[in-house]
Amino acid sequence: MFDKILIANRGEIALRVERACKELGVATVAVHSTADADAMHVRLADESVCIGAPPAKDSYLNIPAIVAACEITGADAVHPGYGFLAENARFAEILEEHEITFIGPTAEHVQLMGDKIQAKIAAQQIGIPVVPGSGPVDDFDEAKRAAREIGYPVLVKAAAGGGGRGMKLALSEDELEPALLTARNEAKAAFGDSTVYLEKYLTRPRHIEVQVLGDGRGNAIHLGERDCSLQRRHQKLWEEAPSPALNENERVRIGEIVAKAMQALSYRGVGTVEFLYEAGAFHFIEMNTRLQVEHTVTEMITGIDLVIEQIRIAAGAPLSLKQEDIPFNGHAIECRINAENPQTFRPSPGTITHFHTPGGLGVRVDSGAYAGYTIPPYYDSLIGKLIVHARTRNECLMRLKRALGEFVVDGIETTIPLFTSLIAEPDIVNGNYDIHWLEKHLAKHGTRGKR
Amino acid sequence: MSKQGGSFDKDLIRELAALLEETGLTEIEVEHDGRRIRVARGVNLTTTLTTDLPQAEPRESARAKGDGPKPAKRAAGQGEEFIVHPGTVTSPMVGTAYRAPEPGAPPFIEIGSKVTAGQTLLIIEAMKTMNQIPSPRAGTVIAILVEDGQPVEYGEPLAVIEQR
Repeated sequence: MFDKILIANRGEIALRVERACKELGVATVAVHSTADADAMHVRLADESVCIGAPPAKDSYLNIPAIVAACEITGADAVHPGYGFLAENARFAEILEEHEITFIGPTAEHVQLMGDKIQAKIAAQQIGIPVVPGSGPVDDFDEAKRAAREIGYPVLVKAAAGGGGRGMKLALSEDELEPALLTARNEAKAAFGDSTVYLEKYLTRPRHIEVQVLGDGRGNAIHLGERDCSLQRRHQKLWEEAPSPALNENERVRIGEIVAKAMQALSYRGVGTVEFLYEAGAFHFIEMNTRLQVEHTVTEMITGIDLVIEQIRIAAGAPLSLKQEDIPFNGHAIECRINAENPQTFRPSPGTITHFHTPGGLGVRVDSGAYAGYTIPPYYDSLIGKLIVHARTRNECLMRLKRALGEFVVDGIETTIPLFTSLIAEPDIVNGNYDIHWLEKHLAKHGTRGKR
Repeated sequence: MSKQGGSFDKDLIRELAALLEETGLTEIEVEHDGRRIRVARGVNLTTTLTTDLPQAEPRESARAKGDGPKPAKRAAGQGEEFIVHPGTVTSPMVGTAYRAPEPGAPPFIEIGSKVTAGQTLLIIEAMKTMNQIPSPRAGTVIAILVEDGQPVEYGEPLAVIEQR
């Protein structure tokens, strides 16, 4: 086991990692920018080092400063948390060169999954289902054949594309020819390459992701799925496990596929394989080679501390859990408490004047906030996560409602009123939502009761 | 605290220290038989060096807790109480400070040294690279706030150079 872990992050996740280290009896080093000198992750760590000025590039993304902080404190491992340097292969390599353990996968795996095109190819090779698509299509006849095989609606996409350019939707065969022509012209104009291909277009997909844990020696298991469909601008706001959309068979099937793939990859540490799910089929989006914000809901239903497992594996221990050791008990929901206006989502930095967190059975709050804490304007707006766990989804919703009612954050605006309004929505109660639901709902209603 | 000539009454010092604790005062000074004893706590070394120097207390940075048991951390704003002297040179990076170009060599500066702008004050080692810390101005070194081999944080005061 490590003697001392440096946590190269801030906020609630730095605190989360500190808690795991403490339970493992490992000393902790917090690093911080000058803006975070008063932060809770700094106050609760055994040691702390100021590594730079407020902008992230000068502090939390400053690799030389973080390595120097390891050197002066004698830390023998670094936990990157999420964001910042968590998926930076170069950082993992540099730490290795300095004989400091990066608590995460190998730099190769970080790099492989960081390249979205390579990742999709790799996923396919290890048996993970991807969005059905064609190779390059040269003419209308070829496109027609491919589209029939894939099934409408289809997207015509530029092979060299990105950012939505050279991308056209065809709902039926009538629309295919114009879509093909426009996409080719746009592709030619934007990328100097008119090559296009077809891909299945999903109309109402859910975002379902599978948590994995591997030891880098070919042992890997899955810890079930999370449903993170409630998003705004690709920003997850509400995550739950298990997904209200999956039945037991589907859960086991996708879990096994992903676990096998991770075994084939000899994946090390925690990771998440993300899918779009529609009409009973899973389509790979990407793999995150790190701990995720919403790992907590998986912890609640399995009782397994993912950060402790992650650290043990990084220290060289083999996987201590077998697939059959992973129980799935009850239901858990996480709400991201952001310092944002609940309607406009405009960031609301400032000083928290009063802070009271909910408690009681099945309630967990992961947060670095406290009364008197000033949220610096330099970083993301997540100030905490409310996680509730109960035996059933219905109990869980009632508990969430109760906990949201207890939560007091004064002095700034937060997303709490948004969640209070969401639990009154029949679609949410019924688990009947897709990745577009929240944006459509917000466009139509705003946040009810908080006008 | 100077300690020239003879031994002080240790019991008296203990007594004064206890009194300090009891009363919550930060400083007690007594003069007796031509001997002066001053007992202070939480007071920085620079106030004893010069009187015109605002409190440039060496920051009690957390990393100094490197060895041995870690004292409980102070709450928010620790070390922030020192008022930055306009001549304070702070560390531009995290690393280990060295006062001399190599072990055994004379230090770059001593208290009272006259320095020119750009003259090396000390070296900070980070990631096995030696970084020379230049003086931002010409002046006189009136305080050196780090020991040789001491780890320093970003923004930590290193020395105070008073403008000529």
